[in-house]
Amino acid sequence: MRKIGPFKAGLLFSSFLITGLLICAIGALFMVPTFEDVMANVWNEEMRLSLKLSLVTGFISTFLVMAFALPIGFTLSRLDFWGKGIVKTILDLPVAFPELVLGLCLLLLFGKTPIGKALSAIGLDFVFTQKGVVAAQFFTALPYSVRIMKSTFDYINPRMEFVSRSLGYTQFETFIRVSLPLAGNGILASTVIAFARCIGTFGTVLILAGGSYMRTETLPITLYLNISYGNMGMALTSGIMLVAVSFIAIFIFEKTEAKL
Amino acid sequence: MSFLRVEDMHINLGEFSLKGVSIELGRGEYHTIMGPTGAGKTILLECIIGFYRPKKGRVFLDGRDITDDPPEKRRIGIVYQDYALLPHKDVFSNIEYGLKKIDRDKQSRRKKILEMAEALNISHILHRKPPTLSGGEQQRTALARALVVEPRLLLMDEPLSALDPQTRQTTRSLLRKLMHDSDVTVLHITHDMDDVWALADRVAIMRNGQLEQHDTMQCVFNRPNSRFIADFVGATIYDGTILPGCNGRCNVDIQGLQLSTIDHAKEGEQVRVALRPENVMVFQDRPEKTSIQNLVQATLEDYYKEGVLYHLTFRSGEVCIPAVVTSSAFQELNLKRKSTSFLGVKAANVKLA
Repeated sequence: MRKIGPFKAGLLFSSFLITGLLICAIGALFMVPTFEDVMANVWNEEMRLSLKLSLVTGFISTFLVMAFALPIGFTLSRLDFWGKGIVKTILDLPVAFPELVLGLCLLLLFGKTPIGKALSAIGLDFVFTQKGVVAAQFFTALPYSVRIMKSTFDYINPRMEFVSRSLGYTQFETFIRVSLPLAGNGILASTVIAFARCIGTFGTVLILAGGSYMRTETLPITLYLNISYGNMGMALTSGIMLVAVSFIAIFIFEKTEAKL
Repeated sequence: MSFLRVEDMHINLGEFSLKGVSIELGRGEYHTIMGPTGAGKTILLECIIGFYRPKKGRVFLDGRDITDDPPEKRRIGIVYQDYALLPHKDVFSNIEYGLKKIDRDKQSRRKKILEMAEALNISHILHRKPPTLSGGEQQRTALARALVVEPRLLLMDEPLSALDPQTRQTTRSLLRKLMHDSDVTVLHITHDMDDVWALADRVAIMRNGQLEQHDTMQCVFNRPNSRFIADFVGATIYDGTILPGCNGRCNVDIQGLQLSTIDHAKEGEQVRVALRPENVMVFQDRPEKTSIQNLVQATLEDYYKEGVLYHLTFRSGEVCIPAVVTSSAFQELNLKRKSTSFLGVKAANVKLA
């Protein structure tokens, strides 16, 4: 057997150390509560409402995120325009922002500015409402999806689109018939990441939608509220629910990716 | 009247640019464009087809200004070096892709595709996806896809360069036959002299976003108008002076070496003289009776072998003269470094550029 040098040993040690710690941390979430406790908490009304709100807002937000991430990703990858660098930086900003600050910015935008008042006048009230949960999730997840979509389109040879246009297809038809089918895996990855981000968004939802009991309470908010009351059973169950939802999303992604 | 006319085209895409390119192609002509990497050849094609909008300049096709038309309205086909086949569609669907836009009848489309596949010898791979094809098969699929819609103009960007020598040779013959049978006008970018010799009516040489010379093959290869083009097409250029007393032919002095040419120029005029190595004949001894006007005694300075050919550099006085001979001729002539030979060049092959 070949001897492992100190450099390679160091690399492997750091990788296994963190992987091991993560396994222990996630394992603890499942080991600490009893199965009966978890099952009792799952059927609790607060938990059911929280799970339902998380899933419904998560799906709506993910749909909206993808509806914008696809054209924005394609624009950043294919078009050259004045101010492109600035647009890209601003779209990326929320990734580096603490969620709480992003939530605060959105609270001010929708609460105090003419834009927010105009939206409110047509029934789009985002402050301390369930619509606010969707808005908070949307702005938190969008930059991740845009980044994935931009890299996906960057990897598609633009000459395929050129050839399509030379064969009589407009730019839009080419986008639908060539770019989108070739971006299949990227769209799937982007959707899963967006969904996971939406479901897990905490700080932005807390500030913009208020995190109020049984009203704008998503799974991360349930976890936070219950840990504040000292109700560990509910807190741990919401943690398990979040991990389960993420796991199912990743599992579906892996299965579907293989088919594309 | 020219079929394609590009007028004073300017564009700047950072690394690549065009600086006032003008070119004209007659209907049914086969043009090649040569030039070093980064010369702007691909950008020229992409401006003609409409993928990029030039900053200045116009494109006319069949007498109509198409500069503002989108690519889908121009009916210009393109074949790229990497073929750009759609990987999620099989060969049949790739060929059918453009046809769907102009022919709504499924049976008629099928007939056209089968005919094209037959002509290009790809009938047996119609059900296969592009990633499973060889380079030659992908190349023929891309060609079928471009030709089946009967484009008015076909642009090809180094379509043979990614193929192995044997497949390149076969595909070149196929291309010559196809183009001969149809009357499509072709603009073909290549780095390979063999493509130019085998296919082209005319050749253009590009450098730094400009056309340096655009003429018939014979003219560009035999009378390159600059040292750059001479180097590029494998010719040698000398500065010379026309001598007095020509007697129907011109004599030209190149640093003491005097050569006869059937080209004409005024006495005392400073001229450029072009020689191609394959036009220089090598003799072991001075030939006694010959029609060759220029016989020069020269010493072999250097040589190298490339395939079955030897590339030789002779020196006569101050002048270096290139020649090329086959391996067997090299052996028969008993050529060695510093050995002396006689070089013969017909007056018709001494070209005033």
